[in-house]
Amino acid sequence: MSDSVAVFDAPPVVRLTGGCGQPRGLLGNKAYGLDAMRAEGLPVPPAFCLTTEVGARFLAAPEQTLDAIWEQVVGAVGWLEQETARSFNRGPQPLLVSVRSGAALSAPGMLDTICNIGVTGAVHGVLKAVCTADFADDTRRRLHEMYRRIALGDVAGAVPDDAYDQLRGAIGAVFRSWESPRARAYRRHHHLDDVGGTAAVVQAMVFGNLGASSGAGVVFSRNPITGADEPVGEWLAGGQGEDVVSGSTDCEPLAALRDQQPTVYRQVLATARRLERFERDVQDIEFTVEGGRLWLLQTRSAKRSASAEVTLALRFRAEGLIDDIETLRRVTPAHIERLLSPSLEPAALRTAPLLARGLPACPGFASGRAYADIDAAIDAADAGDDVILVRSSTSPEDVSGIVAARGIVTEVGGVTSHAAVVSRELGRPAVVGCGAGVVAALDGTIVTIDGTAGEVRQGALPPVAWSECDSAELAELAGIARAISPLRAHHDGPYVRLDDPTPSAVRAAIDAGHTDVVSDHPLVVMLTAVHADHWPAKDAR
Amino acid sequence: MIELKTLQTVRLKGRVSLDDLVAGVDEDTAAIAETVTRLVDAGLLIDGKTLRLSPSGRARLDALLAAERRSADVDAIAAAYRKFRAVNADFKALVSDWQLRGGQLNRHDDADYDAAVLARLGDVHQRVAPIIATAAQQIPRLSVYPRKLDVAYAKVRSGDTAWLTRPLIDSYHTVWFELHEELIGAAGLTREEEAEAGHGG
Repeated sequence: MSDSVAVFDAPPVVRLTGGCGQPRGLLGNKAYGLDAMRAEGLPVPPAFCLTTEVGARFLAAPEQTLDAIWEQVVGAVGWLEQETARSFNRGPQPLLVSVRSGAALSAPGMLDTICNIGVTGAVHGVLKAVCTADFADDTRRRLHEMYRRIALGDVAGAVPDDAYDQLRGAIGAVFRSWESPRARAYRRHHHLDDVGGTAAVVQAMVFGNLGASSGAGVVFSRNPITGADEPVGEWLAGGQGEDVVSGSTDCEPLAALRDQQPTVYRQVLATARRLERFERDVQDIEFTVEGGRLWLLQTRSAKRSASAEVTLALRFRAEGLIDDIETLRRVTPAHIERLLSPSLEPAALRTAPLLARGLPACPGFASGRAYADIDAAIDAADAGDDVILVRSSTSPEDVSGIVAARGIVTEVGGVTSHAAVVSRELGRPAVVGCGAGVVAALDGTIVTIDGTAGEVRQGALPPVAWSECDSAELAELAGIARAISPLRAHHDGPYVRLDDPTPSAVRAAIDAGHTDVVSDHPLVVMLTAVHADHWPAKDAR
Repeated sequence: MIELKTLQTVRLKGRVSLDDLVAGVDEDTAAIAETVTRLVDAGLLIDGKTLRLSPSGRARLDALLAAERRSADVDAIAAAYRKFRAVNADFKALVSDWQLRGGQLNRHDDADYDAAVLARLGDVHQRVAPIIATAAQQIPRLSVYPRKLDVAYAKVRSGDTAWLTRPLIDSYHTVWFELHEELIGAAGLTREEEAEAGHGG
């Protein structure tokens, strides 16, 4: 055994005791977060981790790799049994586990998870006796569905009737999910490389589907869409965590938990705030409540909108959680460029139904009532209404309607169609080629068209664009950047002009000895300079 | 014939002032004004801030166009229209390249790029002339289009590039759009069918 273990550079199986002392890159984000939460004394179901090193070696030699560490895996399962006072593969109090992926860089939803491992025929009988028949059946159904889909790739395949065989099969499936097409596509999109692999986290299950006062939820320590200083989340009474994160079940807002279990609700909020201060970032936390007891399954930095990124970075700085450099690291030039171009508010996009999608023919935004009839459209526009012209295709006689309208939608025709040509010439946002039936569906409703994305949404949604001059937040960021950036940029002054904010142009200005420049977008220039200066590898990607 | 020309021009313009109508119909100014008065009195045209077709005016126009088609060789027009589709695709690509560059609105700050796009208009202008001539042998009314295209082409060539695509004036695209509509109708097709087939839009 010592020989086989010696091939690993670091311990291959790590018990997350709350002081395991291993680096994030080895453990993967998920295991690292669990260990950190445990160190904080937070209620985390006991877990151990097969490291990213094991995951990488598995891809080259699956069976040999698992053979080499299996004795340690079995030992770690024994530790879970002790921690939970339950037993794996048998009664009287069966232990079930989940196997989750956890790479060093998070890829939400891209890798696989299998839950409820350990439900064998015999264990099912025990669960039926000590819990309820419903619970036993529900848990076995969940295991079989996930195991067949993920580990077997066959909806009719046979799930092994031994808990350790299930565990081994699940670990292999999670490791293999690193190479799935969707995971590869995600890494490619985010410029992450394919080397390495994912870790696998084996964790004792807690049950949101076990009777009253149970359920599962997700909480964000602050609103990741708007950046507002308010926790938001979802709650599903009687559900398991997978039901919530997969989006397969309709959840209630987190406030429902406050009504059902006020003490647990307060614990959730207090924990979210504590984790946020500990991680110095907005947290996205999965939790389960089993019989009125709160368990934390995962915490990670929340994905967020560009506007929330700016708001939150400044808020965290004001609260003393991050310094100036970290503030500027979080806000990239791309974030600012996105905010400076008009767009629909992220919060509005989440609630406004998408009514039609087509080709973006003329960029920009327009809201108004949809009219299918030219004369009615012109009359309404003459009366001062905001009109969106919706036509199957456009004829020359429609041009006067396009002139009167704020925006155009067509069923057929491409971006070179006459309607598209005229709309661009008039600067009327246009979405073309939305497909048959759109005219009838939209006629008479208030819509907003996004000629940049090619979308038509319900309701009048005002586009917003931030301005470097008018936005207090961007002005504050510019102030911070001006003190740090190797190149100070200003709206005006007796300096050379730099209109091109690309890294190469900014680098050239610095190399030419300039310390101050004038630009229409000083913040973008300075953030480009700061990022190129401090985090060149990231910008080079 | 002056009634057909007047009604068809009003239809293609959608809503039109008397001045613009006079400019668009190749007939004597007084005769046009007299025709408009008669058509308004007959309830075929609606005279408001601008002139437009009434439903009965549209029906009258459809009848006149159908009669015009009956005296023509529709197969010959359809053959001309098939040739037009190929030139039309090139013209629309030219116009899109003029308006858009790399998916963004063309800021017209690159004279070389703009000149290269405009240079393609000569080829289009040359290729469309015989097609219109063939169609005009069947529908003589269409012979007004080469003259209108010549005027717009000359203005674009002289550097007045608004005459390439601007709506509401007889720019090259405006005239082309109307010509396209005429050919679709003369060939016995509809705009909807053509759009579905990927030739209209």
